[in-house]
Amino acid sequence: MSLVGNVGTLDTPGTASPVQAGRRARWRYLPYYLAIAPFFVVFAVFWCYPLLYSLFLSFHRWDGIGPMHFVGLANFRFLVTDQAFWLSILNTMVIWVMSVIPMTILALLIALGLNSTIRFTGFYRIAYFVPNVTSVVAMSLVFSSIFSEQFGILNWVLGAVGVDPVPWLTNPWGIRTAISVLIIWRWVGYNAIIFLAGLQAIPGEVLEAARVDGASPVQAFFRVTLPLLRPVLLFSVLMSAIGGMQIFAESQVLVGNRGGPGQAGLTMVLYFYDQAFYYNDFGYGAAISWGIFLVVVIFAGINWRLIQRPARREGAR
Amino acid sequence: MTLTRRAFLTASTTLGVATLAGATVGCASPTTASPGRLTLWYSKDGLSETVLAEAVRRFPADRLNLTPIGDGLKHRLLAAMSGGAYLPDLTMMGDDIASYFPDADQFVDLNTVGAGALKGQYLPWKWDSGTTSDGHMIGFPIDIGPSALYYRHDLFAQAGFPSEPDEVAAAVPTWDDYFRFGQELLRALPGRYLLPDTKMVFTYSMAQQPVKYFDRQNHYLADQDHVRQAWDRALRAFNLRLTAGYGGAQDQGQSVDRHAAWNAGKELSFVNACWITGELKQSAPGTAGSWRVCRSPGGAGNQGGSYLAITRYCPRPQEAFAVVSWLLSPENQPRAYLDAGLFPSSPAAFRDPRLLEPEPFFGGQATMAVFARSASEVKPAYFSPWDITISDTYTDELTNVEVAGKDPAQAWADAQTKVTRLLRHQGVI
Repeated sequence: MSLVGNVGTLDTPGTASPVQAGRRARWRYLPYYLAIAPFFVVFAVFWCYPLLYSLFLSFHRWDGIGPMHFVGLANFRFLVTDQAFWLSILNTMVIWVMSVIPMTILALLIALGLNSTIRFTGFYRIAYFVPNVTSVVAMSLVFSSIFSEQFGILNWVLGAVGVDPVPWLTNPWGIRTAISVLIIWRWVGYNAIIFLAGLQAIPGEVLEAARVDGASPVQAFFRVTLPLLRPVLLFSVLMSAIGGMQIFAESQVLVGNRGGPGQAGLTMVLYFYDQAFYYNDFGYGAAISWGIFLVVVIFAGINWRLIQRPARREGAR
Repeated sequence: MTLTRRAFLTASTTLGVATLAGATVGCASPTTASPGRLTLWYSKDGLSETVLAEAVRRFPADRLNLTPIGDGLKHRLLAAMSGGAYLPDLTMMGDDIASYFPDADQFVDLNTVGAGALKGQYLPWKWDSGTTSDGHMIGFPIDIGPSALYYRHDLFAQAGFPSEPDEVAAAVPTWDDYFRFGQELLRALPGRYLLPDTKMVFTYSMAQQPVKYFDRQNHYLADQDHVRQAWDRALRAFNLRLTAGYGGAQDQGQSVDRHAAWNAGKELSFVNACWITGELKQSAPGTAGSWRVCRSPGGAGNQGGSYLAITRYCPRPQEAFAVVSWLLSPENQPRAYLDAGLFPSSPAAFRDPRLLEPEPFFGGQATMAVFARSASEVKPAYFSPWDITISDTYTDELTNVEVAGKDPAQAWADAQTKVTRLLRHQGVI
C-alpha cells in the first residue's frame, strides 16, 4: 500500500539525501517498470533483436546453416546493381497505383450507395466486407482460375462479346492488372465501410443548407461531401500505401516465387522472400529488406509532405 | 469486482516477472525436439504412412516421434540448425541435397554407421548423389524421378501415327525426331500442341546430361556447350510452334490451363518424371485409359527425388540408421510406391510383381517397365548447391522469349550475365 501511496511525495525535497532518494526512487519505480516490461520484453525479443540482427546479417554471406562470412558491403553493391531489385520497386509502385486509384473511386461509389440504402443495410455492409477477411491464398487460387488464359472465365466472357483472349498471367501488363484486380477486390469493401463511416459523420444540416442554396446533387457532392471526407480519404490512401508496399501473397500465388514472365509480378517483398527463403541467401535477403526499408522511408516522406501541405496553406491564411 | 490500481499493478507486475523468467528459461532448450525419442521430420506424402506406422511398432525402444511437415521443411530445419535447438534426429531432404554439402558436418556420415554394406542394393547414381565429393554420405536414397514420354495413345492412333509404346519410342529416339514427328502430328491434329513449354524441353534435356553446370570439385564448367544445346533445342520447339507457351507449367496460374488442356485433349504428349502420374490421374480422370508412356526422346533422365539424413545432434546414430535402412529397404520400397507413388531407388523393387500389374489409367500398360529402364540408364551427374538457381535463371529467360516475345539472343546473353553475376556474388568464381 505504502509503495503506491508514496509515489506522490517522491518529489518532495528535504526528506533524504539526494543519493539515497535516487536509489530509493529507483526501487519505488520498479513495480511500474515491471508492469510495462511484458511489452518491452516481447518488443525487444521479437522486433528489436531481429531488426538489428538483419542489419548484421546484411554484411555477411550465409546459407542458413554453416559459418557466416563477412563480405563487407558486397551485398549492398550487388543490390544497387541488381536489375531485379529495381524492377521489383517499379512493379510495387505500378501495382499500388493501378490498385489504389480505381479502388478509392469504387469504394466511394459503394459507400455512397450504402449510405442511401434503406433495406438490407446490414447485409450489404457485411457482404462488401467479406472479401477482406477471406484468406488471400484461397482468393488468389480462385483468381488464377478466372484469369487463366485458355480456359478462364474472364477470357470466355471476353470471347462471348467478341474480344480476343488476353494472356492475363503471361503478359507483363496482364499480370499487373490481375494482381491489382485481386487487391481491389480484397480492399474495396474495407475502404467503402471506412468511407461510409465518414459520410455518416457529415452533418445533415450542411447538405441541407447546400440544397437550400440551390446546389445540385453533383455540386453538393464535390463542394461539400468530398472536402469534408478529406481526412477519411487521406487515412484510406495512407493505409493502402502501407499495404501496397507489402504486396506479397497475391503475386506469389498468382505468378509464383519468381514473379512470372518478365518478372512483372515481382514485388519488393516477394523478391526478398525469393532470395532469402527460396534460394536461402540470407545475407542478400537481409540487404534487400534494408533496401525496402529505404524505399519505404522515402515513400513515407512523400506521403507526409502531401498530407502536410494543405494544412500549412490553411495555417498561412 | 472493480479493477483497482493496486490489483492491476500487482497483476501486471506478476506478468512482467513471469515473462522475464520465461525468457531466461527459454535459453535452456533441448538440442533435439524430444530427448529420449527419435524425431523424424518428413514432408507429407514424402514417406509411406503405412511403412512408418509399422516402423513405430517395430522399433519400440526408439520411441519414434513422427513429424509430418506440410510445407517448408527446409525452413524449419534451417531455423532449428541456426538456433541449435529442437532439432530432429532424422530429416528428409529434397533434390536440393547439394545445398547441404557445404555444411555436411551437420549430418552424420552414413558410411560411419554401416551404410557401405547396403550400397549394392541401390541405384549407384542415386547413392552417389547423396554423397559429397570428399565421400561424406549425408542422404540415404528414398525415391527417384526417372523421366519418360507421356502421350495420348488414342489421339496418336486417331491421326494414324504410331501409337503403341514400342512403336512411339522407336519413332522418336532423339529430340529432333520427336519435333519432326510432332510437326506432322499437329498437321493431322490441328488446334493442339505437342508439349507444354520450352522449360520442359530445357529441364529434361539437362536431366539427360552426364554433366550439369559444375564438376565434382565444385568448379564452374568453362565449357557450357551442352547448356547451349539444351537452350537451342528448347527454342527450336518454340519456333516450330510445338509448345503451348505456358509461362512455366509448374506455376499455379498455368497449371489451371494445363489441367484443362489435359481434359480437353489439347496436350498430346509431354516428357516428365514419373511423379506427375498422381497429378495427371487426379486432374484429368476423364482421360483414363488414353495415356501411355514410353522411353523419352534423348534417353533416360532423372528429375527430383529425396533422401533421409541423420543430424549430428542425434545421440544414437546407430539406432537411427537401423530405422532408416529398414524404412527404405528394398522390401519396403514397393509398398511406398503403391502407397504414396514414391518410385523405388532400389532396382530389386522393379521386379516386384505388385508393381508390374497392368494399370487401367494407362490402358493396361505396366509403366514400371518403362520407368525402371529409364532409372537404370540415368547417367551419374554431379549437382552443385547452385544448380537450381542457375537452371531457374535459364528457364526464366526461355519463358520470356516464349510468352513475352524477348529476343532470343538477348535472353541468352542476359541469362549468362545473371549466372556469372550470381556465382561471383556467391564467391564461387
